[in-house]
Amino acid sequence: MKEKQAKKREKEPFFERHLGPILITPSTLVIFGILFIPIFYALYMSLNRISFRGADTIYKFAGIKNFVNLFTIDPWFKSSFVTTILFVVLTVATEIVIGVAASLVLNKKFHGRGFVRGLMILPWAMPTVVNAVMWKWIFNAEYGAANGLLMKLGIIKTGIAWLGTPKMAFLCVFLANVWKETPYVILLAIAALSTIPGDLYEAASIDGAGGWKAFWRITLPMIKPVLLILLITKTIWAFQTFDLVAIMTSGGPQNATNLLSYYIHFVAFKQTDFGSAAAMSYVLSMICFALSFVYIKLFMNNDDGAEKKTKKAQRRKLATAHED
Amino acid sequence: MASIQLEHVTKQYPGGVTAVDDFNLSIEDREFIILVGPSGCGKSTVLRMIAGLEEITSGEIFIGDRLVNEVAPKDRDIAMVFQNYALYPHMTVYKNMAFSLKLRKTPKAEIDEKVRAAAKILDIEALLDRKPRALSGGQRQRVALGRAMVRNPSAFLLDEPLSNLDAKLRTSMRAEITKLHQQLGTTFVYVTHDQTEAMTMGDRIAVIKDGVIQQIDTPQNLYDHPANLFVGGFIGSPQMNLIDATVKKVADRFFATFGETDVLIPPQVMGADVAASYEGKSIVIGIRPEFISEGGPHSDCDTTIAGDIDLAESMGAEKFIYFVCEGYPCIAKVPGKSGIQTGDHVSLTIDCSKMHIFDKESGLAISH
Repeated sequence: MKEKQAKKREKEPFFERHLGPILITPSTLVIFGILFIPIFYALYMSLNRISFRGADTIYKFAGIKNFVNLFTIDPWFKSSFVTTILFVVLTVATEIVIGVAASLVLNKKFHGRGFVRGLMILPWAMPTVVNAVMWKWIFNAEYGAANGLLMKLGIIKTGIAWLGTPKMAFLCVFLANVWKETPYVILLAIAALSTIPGDLYEAASIDGAGGWKAFWRITLPMIKPVLLILLITKTIWAFQTFDLVAIMTSGGPQNATNLLSYYIHFVAFKQTDFGSAAAMSYVLSMICFALSFVYIKLFMNNDDGAEKKTKKAQRRKLATAHED
Repeated sequence: MASIQLEHVTKQYPGGVTAVDDFNLSIEDREFIILVGPSGCGKSTVLRMIAGLEEITSGEIFIGDRLVNEVAPKDRDIAMVFQNYALYPHMTVYKNMAFSLKLRKTPKAEIDEKVRAAAKILDIEALLDRKPRALSGGQRQRVALGRAMVRNPSAFLLDEPLSNLDAKLRTSMRAEITKLHQQLGTTFVYVTHDQTEAMTMGDRIAVIKDGVIQQIDTPQNLYDHPANLFVGGFIGSPQMNLIDATVKKVADRFFATFGETDVLIPPQVMGADVAASYEGKSIVIGIRPEFISEGGPHSDCDTTIAGDIDLAESMGAEKFIYFVCEGYPCIAKVPGKSGIQTGDHVSLTIDCSKMHIFDKESGLAISH
């Protein structure tokens, strides 16, 4: 049979025999071009001091000096790093908590649910630039809507320089990010919630788990896989936040909103220190990679631990049976 | 252990659809009662109202002596087994079974003892560490039963628990649930649309149609004395043959006449006085397929009819004969060794002493 098939294949024209590889070659080349070349080129850059003389770019091998300098000489890297971690933790936690809470409400049946669900997507569907410009105007110290509203309500007498003070500016960028990114959490959480069969809650209510208990013991474990994906993507995206900062605060005031992505851009294109910028990019990528790895490990272990144990035990039993 | 009483229970959904109407049912302690009826007849709604998963529009439900209208499902001391099992997919079999006890803060040692005891009865001890997705349908059903058992509830509510299983497994699980009932000695309320399950499992059966109980009785009585046309047609497999006829008196004897055929109405089926009052009126006669046999009359009570066989279905031990009699499609159940073939023209004999007679207008049985 096998020989026959092999003979038959040989008779097929070259194109048909190699159809698979031929079809994937263009996309492989494109992926290689836009992904792997930059990754390796950035690694090369991070290991060099790069300077420009006229139209020439001069690479001088520096080993891991660029990386060491980040933590020793660079005046802003450490503060930018801390700000970024704080920003990532706060935004991801807030977005997931608010997102899951809102999805629980939007998963209930009520009049106009479809409309509200559609409306909710809007901030996420809007381009970040538009979002950033909008928030910049809202928080404008002289004629922004935030000040206008608070003054009309009599809560404040004089306008607040929202984007002018470090803590406030950080809060504003945080708010703008939460406003834009939470709908994505809601969207995925609703999709996850709708897959939970209703009779599970009925069984739970008879077993004695209603309300919060049902949420902790049924809902949350059931949407855990989706929450994991959200946690990974949200963390990576939060680390990549660039346009909000670039438009709203340019990293200021006093570096209070100088997130790593923006700082990398600043070092590369304002200070033209491509070596250090590439080193920072690598640090950022490694953090994202390591976090994703930890998340996956944490979630997967919990879920399948028991099953793995049983399988191991079964295998051991089989092995002893064979020995006997 | 508890009795269950439903008094004038009505369930109306928003929009005015009445699912259950003035429902009265008294289930005795330790009884195995079956609620049976076609899809959408309200039988599951009744069960869900007993469980507390569905609110009651009016009426009262008692479990034991306690009025439970306003009692939360978890406090009704009942356990429910769902059609789709409703096992928690993220928990192992052990955790699924221990869940309710854990929520009640039962000591760990006691939980372990109860779970293992239930697992032993149901023969699922080897599965305790598995997740539901790694189980077969039959195993899942056992786990669902086990989850109900560990709580030692005063009543088990089972909502079509076997309908997702294949035919062979269904038969064996049927026997196991019956055995389990005897073993546990608890009240069982079992909902099904399958009359075979109803006939084989229950102490009593409540036949429900359009949210109204048609008849409650033991399986044998339902079969022997159906209260109306619906129960007559629903209970028994294959279905009872129902034929519209008119009562006619010839000499001193009464006959049910349809087309050219006269079927004798023996006095033990319908007394002479009653028959006389129906003379010339429309009735429906019901003849179970098992009381139509091959060949000529065997006794005075028999009536012979002729028919062309549309289809002869051999089941091995028996044969189902589909034929048309005076325009009415009929079924007869004859021994498997019978030589009747599709296309044959044969004489068949009705055992008239086993005939049922219903009033055409009201649909109620009038023979008994």
